[in-house]
Amino acid sequence: MAPLRRSSTLRLTGLLCLSFLVFFSRGFASHDVVSEKSSGTIQEDSHSQANSTAHKKTFPVLSFNYEHVRTPFEISLWILLALFMKLGFHIIPTVSHIVPESCLLIFVGLLVGGIIKATGEQPPVLDSNLFFLYLLPPIILDAGYFLPMRSFTENIGTILMFAVVGTLWNVFFIGGMMYAVCQIDAAELAHVDLLSCLLFGSIISAVDPVSVLAVFEEIHINELLHILVFGESLLNDAVTVVLYHLFKEFAHEQTVTVTGAILGVISFFVVSLGGVMVGVIYGIVGAFTSRFTSYSRVIEPLFVFLYSYMAYLSAEIFHLSGIMSLIACGVIMRPYVEANISHKSYTTVKYFLKMWSSVSDTLIFIFLGVSTVAGPHTWNWTFVIFTVIFCLVSRVLGVIGLTAFINKFRIVKLTKKDQFIIAYGGLRGAIAFSLGFLLDNGEIKNLFLTAIITVIFFTVFVQGMTIRPLVELLAVKKKKESKESINEEIHTQFLDHLLTGIEDICGHYGHHHWKDKLNRFNKTYVKRWLIAGERSTEPQLISFYNKMELKQAMMMVESGSAAKLPTIVSTVSIRNVQTKGAPKPSRAISKSREEEIRRLLRANLQKTRQRLRSYSRYELLNDALEDNISEARFRKQREMERRMSHYLTVPANRQETPPVRKHDFKMQCINQYNTFLFHTGYHKVYTYDDSESPRGRASPSCADDVSELKETPEKPDQSSTPRANRDAELKPKEQDDQGDQLKVSRCLSDPGPNPEDDEDSTFLP
Amino acid sequence: MGSSSSSRNKIPNAQELMDQTGFSSAHLLRLYDRFECLDRDNKGYLSPDDFEAVGGLAMNPIGGRIIDAFFSSGQDTVDFSSFVWILAHFRPTDRNRNKEGTQQELPDSRTRKLKFAFQLYDLDRDGKISREELLQVLRAMLGLQVTEEQLQSIAERAIQEVDLDKDDAISFDEFKKSLEKVDIDTKMSIGFLK
Repeated sequence: MAPLRRSSTLRLTGLLCLSFLVFFSRGFASHDVVSEKSSGTIQEDSHSQANSTAHKKTFPVLSFNYEHVRTPFEISLWILLALFMKLGFHIIPTVSHIVPESCLLIFVGLLVGGIIKATGEQPPVLDSNLFFLYLLPPIILDAGYFLPMRSFTENIGTILMFAVVGTLWNVFFIGGMMYAVCQIDAAELAHVDLLSCLLFGSIISAVDPVSVLAVFEEIHINELLHILVFGESLLNDAVTVVLYHLFKEFAHEQTVTVTGAILGVISFFVVSLGGVMVGVIYGIVGAFTSRFTSYSRVIEPLFVFLYSYMAYLSAEIFHLSGIMSLIACGVIMRPYVEANISHKSYTTVKYFLKMWSSVSDTLIFIFLGVSTVAGPHTWNWTFVIFTVIFCLVSRVLGVIGLTAFINKFRIVKLTKKDQFIIAYGGLRGAIAFSLGFLLDNGEIKNLFLTAIITVIFFTVFVQGMTIRPLVELLAVKKKKESKESINEEIHTQFLDHLLTGIEDICGHYGHHHWKDKLNRFNKTYVKRWLIAGERSTEPQLISFYNKMELKQAMMMVESGSAAKLPTIVSTVSIRNVQTKGAPKPSRAISKSREEEIRRLLRANLQKTRQRLRSYSRYELLNDALEDNISEARFRKQREMERRMSHYLTVPANRQETPPVRKHDFKMQCINQYNTFLFHTGYHKVYTYDDSESPRGRASPSCADDVSELKETPEKPDQSSTPRANRDAELKPKEQDDQGDQLKVSRCLSDPGPNPEDDEDSTFLP
Repeated sequence: MGSSSSSRNKIPNAQELMDQTGFSSAHLLRLYDRFECLDRDNKGYLSPDDFEAVGGLAMNPIGGRIIDAFFSSGQDTVDFSSFVWILAHFRPTDRNRNKEGTQQELPDSRTRKLKFAFQLYDLDRDGKISREELLQVLRAMLGLQVTEEQLQSIAERAIQEVDLDKDDAISFDEFKKSLEKVDIDTKMSIGFLK
């Protein structure tokens, strides 16, 4: 009952906020007039006061000046509205399961537009400038930066076919058919000529990345289909741009020349390849810049964003394809930048991109709704209905035809189910609307805009809502949630090498051959220039392994905080995990010495444990149990530490944890964690030293011990505090790892440790 | 047309090979041409030197293993049918045909592909990839750029991830399981061998 009531009150609050926001913004708009008048009167007053010195001017304690902040204020209000809506939909669970978010947002936009119109004001329209320059780039950058390169490159042929040939087919089919429709006298559309129809076709046929992302993201379809539809929506931008400008020119001049057509074809290549080149140039410059950003980590994310945005804008200057430029920039920049920037910067980039694209996406759909209400509309039943029909028909025909052709060249063929989803996923969106908006004013423009909006609504509402049940019905393969696995990575690389070898034997220059060549080129020439320091020679497997270990370490940190202990959020900078000079000599310890050290430490530990037994009354009762558990835990913890110790480094010049934490921890330990604290206290001996080379410390943990023993007198403050806390984190994580949040209290009463861990019999006294 | 049928006659056991491996005659012909091209001295069989003469294999970290895979135990020659048989593992899986239920599993099925890859790891053929074998592979792939300890920790982790029966080695089933998310049919297929 309670949650229902809560959700309904939230809904009410949401509605109230919404209406409040709208009226607020409206109210302020009308206040302009008032404030102007009042400022006018104040001026008059001051004039008259200046003349008559007898009156004194009262100092305005509180004055009202809205004009000053009007634009940013209203923008912020709109964004706030968008965010509240987004929040609202996720709080109300039932609706968001059936209706995709984009539909709800358009609906809200309609509402808001209706309210604004009802109060007599002119609602704002989705200005094309605003859309193309501010709202679209974040979404594309987010998509491009996180594009799964493997599946993209594997299917690039198919994607290009759909994007280029598919879009061309759509344009001419729709344009031609609509012209045929316009010839019907009953439709009263005789004034729409062929070129205008083709122009209309070019606007309406492009699949829209924003809508595709919005809908496909929620249905979690398998990666192949996702990348096919999404890749198509990205790459067809070049075709759209060229055709749009081409037909606009022709429509303007009312003539089609052969040279014009040929120039159009050439311009297609120029636009697409030029766009990609601009992106690549900016990407390389960005990667190169990131090589030096270790001197100022805070601004690193900004470089990523700005270079990408500049790539987009630069491409737009020359009427090249901005979207392709943006994607190329993100794709090129990513591997090098990620190797160079700190972990925190990487997180920042990721979250900012997600945030901006999310806000943009929401705003776009809301504005679509508002613009629909704004009008002006010219509704022509024939035109609109036939547009919708032909869009669907041409999409289906195009997909079927192309798949039949493409399947001859594919290893994994596209099944009928795949084809259906691809055809059904051809959603239109805001790009079409904005392009339509850029047309010259006139009756045709309104006609087109109405039709475009109808198609968008149809695809987003009808197709967007029904695609999820259809996916379930057809039992289309869903996205497999894959946990990253070092095995997979090793074996995949192994298979890559194997396939390259077999291809060499067969004398066939296939996919693997070129990929191998590219990798080699990358390794020998490019990486050296674009990645700073040691990372440039790091093999991919090692980077992957490092990343995995880091993720695991961070997961452990976070789960440690769940056990109510003060933990450090050790967002580590991988960059700091670098060798300085020659670390090798210190690790060259002979076997016998190792054994000696091991024995020493073991003995010490046992002595401690014996001492512990007499320390507190609690221990006396449960020592036998505690020993087993703690030894097992000790062993496992050492294991984890060995791995974590590579990456949880505190850089020498920064102290991440205030010393006070250590004391807090001690306080807690007095209650319940006595034994463990002492264990962790002695654990200090086993953790490794930050300043040493962190590379690869698997088996000779005693090497760690020795180096630690050597180092502790020199650097007690820096290393000990964070390490003690780290150990402290480890311990509760150990408890989590044991499976059941084994708290000590439970240990004391529950005789059941996990049997598998009791390997280390050597530690029994 | 005439020339191809006469060339087919050159190939020993052509029909048998086609049935067993699923290659078409055109493919078989191409492979035979390649076989003859590799076989520099026209011996009628291939020896390790012929393989080593292939350009890319020298740079390939597991080049040696691949060559050894062609030579079944003991022998140091590869005749054409063995050549084809090995390469048949890399045929793209024809899903439609497999549904009919062939009695003998064709070499291109997923399990057989994985088995082939597994045998490249497991050099001593004991049915398990031991830690040492894994380390050898890692050493070969990663070269001199990493330290021994890193290799050890990677091997350690890899084994820990999948080793369910705790024998400190990766059995074939564990190997298969770790690759269940990877689309082996696509990954281990060479397009032109369809």
